[in-house]
Amino acid sequence: MSREIGINQLKRRDFLKAGLVFGAGAAGLAAGYAAVPDAFARAVYAAKREGLTNDNILVMIQLAGGNDGLRTVVPLAEPALHDLRPKLSGPMVSQALPLNDRFGLNHNLGAIKGLWDKGRVAIVQGVGYPNPTFSHFESIRIWETGDPTRRQVDGWLGRTLASAYDSNGHPLTGCACGATDVPGALRDLQATMTVIQNQKTFGFTGGSEVEAAVGALYKGTPGIYGALFDTAIATATETMSTLRTSAATYQPMADYTDKVQLVYSSKNQLAAALQLAAELIVTGTGVKLLHVTLGGFDTHYTELNRHDDLMGYLDSAVGAFYQDLAAHGMADKVLIATWSEFGRRPKENASGGTDHGAAAPLLLIGDPVKGGLYGEAPSLTALDGSGNLKYAVDFRSVYQEILGGHLGAGSSQILGASFDRVPFLKAPVAATV
Amino acid sequence: MSVAPSQEKAGSADLQVRRGITRRQALATALAAGVGVGAVRLLGGSMQNLARPKAGSATDWISPLGSESARVMHLLRRTSFGSTPAQLESALADGFNRTVDRLIETKPVEPPQLAAASAPGGRFAVAQLQQWWVDHMLRTATPFAERITLFWHGHFTSDYRKAGDNTFMYWQNLTWRRMSMTDLRSMLMQVTIDPAMLRYLDLATSTGQSPNENYSRELMELFTMGPGNYTEDDVRQSAKALAGWQVPQPDSFATVTTNNVTRRLPVYSGQKSGVFNPRRAFKGDVSYLGSTGPLDTQGVIDRILAQPATAQFIAAKVAQHFVSVQPDAAFVTSLADAFRRSKYDMKTLMRAVFASSHFTAPQSYRTLVKSPIEFMVHAVRALGVPNSKLIVAAGSGMGQSLFDPPDVGGWPNNESWISSNTVVERVNFVTSALSQVKTALPTMSDAARVHLDGVLSPQTASLLNQAADARARWFITLASPEFQLK
Repeated sequence: MSREIGINQLKRRDFLKAGLVFGAGAAGLAAGYAAVPDAFARAVYAAKREGLTNDNILVMIQLAGGNDGLRTVVPLAEPALHDLRPKLSGPMVSQALPLNDRFGLNHNLGAIKGLWDKGRVAIVQGVGYPNPTFSHFESIRIWETGDPTRRQVDGWLGRTLASAYDSNGHPLTGCACGATDVPGALRDLQATMTVIQNQKTFGFTGGSEVEAAVGALYKGTPGIYGALFDTAIATATETMSTLRTSAATYQPMADYTDKVQLVYSSKNQLAAALQLAAELIVTGTGVKLLHVTLGGFDTHYTELNRHDDLMGYLDSAVGAFYQDLAAHGMADKVLIATWSEFGRRPKENASGGTDHGAAAPLLLIGDPVKGGLYGEAPSLTALDGSGNLKYAVDFRSVYQEILGGHLGAGSSQILGASFDRVPFLKAPVAATV
Repeated sequence: MSVAPSQEKAGSADLQVRRGITRRQALATALAAGVGVGAVRLLGGSMQNLARPKAGSATDWISPLGSESARVMHLLRRTSFGSTPAQLESALADGFNRTVDRLIETKPVEPPQLAAASAPGGRFAVAQLQQWWVDHMLRTATPFAERITLFWHGHFTSDYRKAGDNTFMYWQNLTWRRMSMTDLRSMLMQVTIDPAMLRYLDLATSTGQSPNENYSRELMELFTMGPGNYTEDDVRQSAKALAGWQVPQPDSFATVTTNNVTRRLPVYSGQKSGVFNPRRAFKGDVSYLGSTGPLDTQGVIDRILAQPATAQFIAAKVAQHFVSVQPDAAFVTSLADAFRRSKYDMKTLMRAVFASSHFTAPQSYRTLVKSPIEFMVHAVRALGVPNSKLIVAAGSGMGQSLFDPPDVGGWPNNESWISSNTVVERVNFVTSALSQVKTALPTMSDAARVHLDGVLSPQTASLLNQAADARARWFITLASPEFQLK
């Protein structure tokens, strides 16, 4: 496998100076952002810190579209809920799986509730950021970059990859499973990462002859996309070789299924994506930062069944994933964290749905967590000027705990500041901040 | 173009008919560099850079756009799906300016009717709809109409999953094509009351009493002005003003039983738009974008069009789609001015785009990445195997399935099309398209000129010169980085 840099050497600052900052497509354009390609990447020789020595792994699950926090972690004793949601609140309260007197999990989160009962789920309530935007794309960018001021273009996990790991030559250090493009959280000019939509079909038709020809074809490619193309081919080829070994040794120890009941069919195959994540983890491929997505949470319309179905899908996929990791003796290494660009408006609309909101809870799942409720559930009677829930915990507090406590990476360097602690980890690997 | 003689020589040496490329041939390419360099237009300074790597001095493609014929090919690449030799010759004879006129002034050819679309409730496979459109892309005499319809499909996007009626998605495609080169004011009205859009962004279920903000927000954020040019209060106010539209009443109902479930499904005798139900509308004044009073849907659209941000936003998006990855700010402003002065006439905007010096500037050459659909349709047309099924099946691995955008922002572009997953899928598509060619491959002698402008990287050039047969050379041509760009 060639890791030649060849003629595409560029330094990050030269690249930026040249004004070659790429547009991020429709969404990025709309959000007023310029995203940066994930490569130019190998082309950059950046001074790296020594690779981190712990073997902890992070799996981020994006609930795209804006997950309704009030239907995920349900307030059980809030009379205001019925006034705000005459159509949506009834069964969600009566059927919720109680965590204590005040809160319950959505009734379809049975497997996650089982993990809660064993102390393996931490719930951080009221997570958000100041002056929230209600645009999907702006808020996604804010969560992806970890920067509500919208100056940062690299993703928070991409920056982690670039500063804490040597991803050049180890493209599986960061991997998006079940996707076709690099999620914004993983983007960074100085990092290389892998994207695998479907492991079963990930390979060159025509085998090694095609692989060799393509390897020769994509070398020293000129133009602004040259390094990106060359890196993508080199990454793919290297990953295929790794996957040949891992696929031969991995035996799933849980039932993953994407055949689920949903109001609208899903674009994402969450269970298959998590199964690939499990394979990469248990076969020791060196993965550290994994990202998967489940879409469909933009429930402006007929939210009742849609959201319950999505919760059930999430629960079965996460349940299988945890079970598989545990059976392979890897559950103590893996932290699973959900994120979503915003919660939803407490007041329902005429369509039996809810519009874009603000603060919402995050779920942190796995043996590394110290189970329990953290943060503060927003009041349903003291809404902000736009009728939305007020946040109590900055989302970067959660990132900080993940970076410092779980990965042992320098969070203040990556996040550019320090935030209040949310001590949801059992045994942080290093002092956070 | 200096490439032709050598390529013909390479073609005449094509005596063997073997599939694939052997490893040895691929690895032997370095030795062929001398031949390759003679055959192609090399990048200026690239050899020096190879010898003396220097930070910040990446090589770039040499722009051939100084020549009229290269400008014509550049224009066609960004407005069609690859040309037959006859189409190319005719465009070259017309020259750049007349070709621009033809593209803009020729009325779009309508696709043939899709019989499946009369299924009650629009219950037919989305693959039929996807193949229907791709079939039209493959065969149409007006490919620019399809390119611009594809652009609008990504801009005013809708998703068959949520629309829940594939007949509505079919109608939307017909509407977008018919309106594609009209004016933004009429377009915005048609977009607002399009049945698939009414479902996709929930306007159909919004009421003045209890408005749904989805369409109101995206109309401003994604369709017209861009974020930062309106307030959250404007979102709420126009949500009220826009409420009242519903999907059209069916002409009849059909009772259909599938999998032991019996449903009463709507039947339409022909294409329809949304209908306005005053009982669901908001009665009263709204304060929207700086003024207060009663406001209907046309009023909302006209207030949006009165904002300078709208022309700027559309012009930037068009320039990013057709000209360069990061269009010059003054250029975008000049496009926006022309667009607004013309009362938002799309022909005026597109003419200003193609006629500008920015469109044919060296900096614009190969700065855009073909979308998966553009790449696949171009590739199978070049090979003469117009198989829409193959294209529809392969799209999702590259990140583009028609009628199924990733989200309400439509498809991303350029560098987002390039990842370890998508490049493999692109290469595999070339392999499977080639395997469709059961008889003789199209002549190869001119392919590097017709499909790659004769501007090749040293790697592509030497691999082409080393390739054992026409099949291998077609593989290299279509799988090359050059062919992924536009």
